Order: sequence, then structure tokens, then C-alpha cells
Amino acid sequence: MLTLLRSWTQPDAFHTVLNERSPRWYNACLRITRDAELAADAVQEALLKAWDRRHDFRGEAALASWIHRIALNSAIDLTRRRKRRAEEELEDDAFEAGPSASAETEYVQENLGKDISTAMQRLTTKERQIFVLKHVEGWRLEEIAESMQMPIGSVKNGLFRAVRKLRVDLQVWRGPS
Amino acid sequence: MNNDMIINDEELLLYYYRELDAAEQARIGAALAEQPELARRLHALVARLDAAAAQPEVPVPDETQQRWRAALEQAASTSNITTMPVARRRPSSLRWQLAAAAAVVAALAYGILRVGTPGVTPNPPPLANTAESSAYENGLKFHLASTERRLANLGDATPEERARLVDAIIGQNRIYALAAERAGEPQLARVLRAFTPVLEDLANGDSRSTAASIDQLNFELRVMQARLGAGKTPPNTL
Repeated sequence: MLTLLRSWTQPDAFHTVLNERSPRWYNACLRITRDAELAADAVQEALLKAWDRRHDFRGEAALASWIHRIALNSAIDLTRRRKRRAEEELEDDAFEAGPSASAETEYVQENLGKDISTAMQRLTTKERQIFVLKHVEGWRLEEIAESMQMPIGSVKNGLFRAVRKLRVDLQVWRGPS
Repeated sequence: MNNDMIINDEELLLYYYRELDAAEQARIGAALAEQPELARRLHALVARLDAAAAQPEVPVPDETQQRWRAALEQAASTSNITTMPVARRRPSSLRWQLAAAAAVVAALAYGILRVGTPGVTPNPPPLANTAESSAYENGLKFHLASTERRLANLGDATPEERARLVDAIIGQNRIYALAAERAGEPQLARVLRAFTPVLEDLANGDSRSTAASIDQLNFELRVMQARLGAGKTPPNTL
């Protein structure tokens, strides 16, 4: 903690913030991307943006929170871009499962735990991202809509669909309303 | 206000997320206070969602850390770091209070983990079934970790954001306090509720009583952990 009280505008101190906070950023991005490489890219993108704007931050917490949020936005954007690329390749009839797809599956199975991620794996990418941003990260629905470039009604419906899937074995959750 | 109207699950969820307008929020809050079954329904739902969201943290691979460092060093090498102004520091009292509050939550989380450890829990929680018990424990751990994370980030939130976030934490604490009582853990319910005024002080920017409250909570937690470790029920000292 004391080390964080130094100015993060010094490279060493910036690295200290990186050391202490990056696991949280990385894991948050992993929840969004389910892909280790994309999560790492998202954090790196956020770090470089933060370095460029390091004089704008008034405190370590502001810097860390900003990087966290930018990394999540990058993670959403990178996932969207990858999906778009995959769709384009499919349209060209040239798609085949690339190394990233198998790496993603392997990473999730090895590191996230089959039992815990089973329920989440029932969700589509968008449903999972909406649920994580709302339930785990505590974003407002408006913020999610802006980040995911979706109407707020679609975000709300995506959230409800995600919840319905996640509560499958929950008897007290009464059917769709 | 007609609280006898059926509250559907989507409304209940939006209430939990504080996404309803003030009138709807108040209506459902009142209904929850009046209808234990509705409160149980909400608790079960939230616990299930928390359990689904819970995910073990994975370490950052060394090569990834190295890649980030290299990227940063490259960025730093292109900028004149010797002329960087040192950022003006904000008054630190709130920051330290938040850090202390986060520490309390972390300690509470540790206490819960110990409660959930075989051989430490004096009595098994009398929940209806194992799945529900597991969801409750997982959800509670997740909630505490999530609360710690949110508190750590409160320092730079605007007053409105801080009030909203604290309000959400208090609401969740209330739900877990109910669950703790139901699970036969009144001491945990009490500590969860005792955390509320400290959070309210933080939301209001009132620092006068916060430090003392946090000290008291810390003491309570240590007593709770010690007594639980000894297989005794902690006394109510608050």
C-alpha cells in the first residue's frame, strides 16, 4: 500500500500499480472474453492508454479504476472484432477452427474449472458479457448499452435471458414473467 | 402504494440492481419487508447468480506480465519522464477510511471462509439442502469479495456514484443478513448489519464516527473468529 502512495507517474511506481492490480484487471477481462490472449491484449491496450494520460489522474484508485474500465471496454471490443472476423471468414467459406478457438476452450477448461463455468457456458457471448458487467462489475444498464453498442432494451432482455438460464436448477425462481 | 400486486422476477431483479425508478424501488422494498417469502425468493435468486458468477482467480502468466512491462517500457522510453509533474494528492482521510473499510470486509471474508471450513464450524448450517447451502456460502464469499473490490474503488467516485454504490452494498448486506439468520448464523447477520452505518457514513462523507465504527467492527470480527474457532457463539458486544 505504501508503495502505491508514490507518484504513479514515475515508471517504477506505475509498474508497482501494474503488479498489484493487474491480476484483477486480467481476470475481469477473462470473464468477458473467455480467452487468455484477448484478455491480455485488452489489459495492455488499457495500460498504454493510461500511460499516455497518466497526468490526468488524481490518485492511484482513479488510475486503477480507469484502467479496469478501459480494459473491460477493450475486452468487449476485441471480442466483437474477433466474432466479426470469424463471421466474415465463414461467409467466404474459408473458416476453420483456428488456434485461438481451441486455445480458448483449453484455457477455460484448465483454469476456470468445469463445474463453476458450466452454468456460464450455457450463455451466449453477449448474455455472458451483459451478466458479468451488471452482476459482477456493477455497471449501469445505460453504461453496458453504450459499451456494447446495443439499445438498452436489448441489454435488459439479454440480462433476463442470462438469468433465466443461470437459475435452471433454482426452484424458487418462478418461470418467465 | 399497493404491495399486494404480484411482483414478477424481472422487477425483483431490477430492484436488486437498483435499476428501477424511485417509486418502484420503494414499492418493492416495502413488499420485501412485508413478505418473507418474497425476500427468500430474492435471496435464493441472488445467491444462485453469485454462485454462477463466482470464478477462481487465475494468475497472470509470467510471459503476459513481461509483455505488458515491455510495452510500458517502450512507451516510457518515448516520453520525457523527468519533466512529469507529480500529481496533486487529494485529502487522504476518506482514502484511508475506505482502505480500512475494505480491510474489515476482507477480514469478514476471511472469517466466512473459516466458518465454511470443516472442523471450524461449530454446527452445520441448518439450510434446507446442500445445494442451497453451497449456493449461500459461495454467494456470500462472492458478495464479500465484490464488496471489498467496490470499496477499494469508492475513493474517486463522485458523491452520487458513491451513494449509489454504497446503497447497493447495503441492500446486498441486508439480503445476506437475512440469509445468515436463516442459516443459523445470527452473529454473522449482526456483523453484516453493523457494517451498514459505517457504509452510510462513507456515503454521506461523514468521517467523524467512521474510524471508531471501523475499529469496533474490527474488534467484533476478531472476537467472532476467535469464538468460532473455539466452537462458541460470539457474544453481542455492539
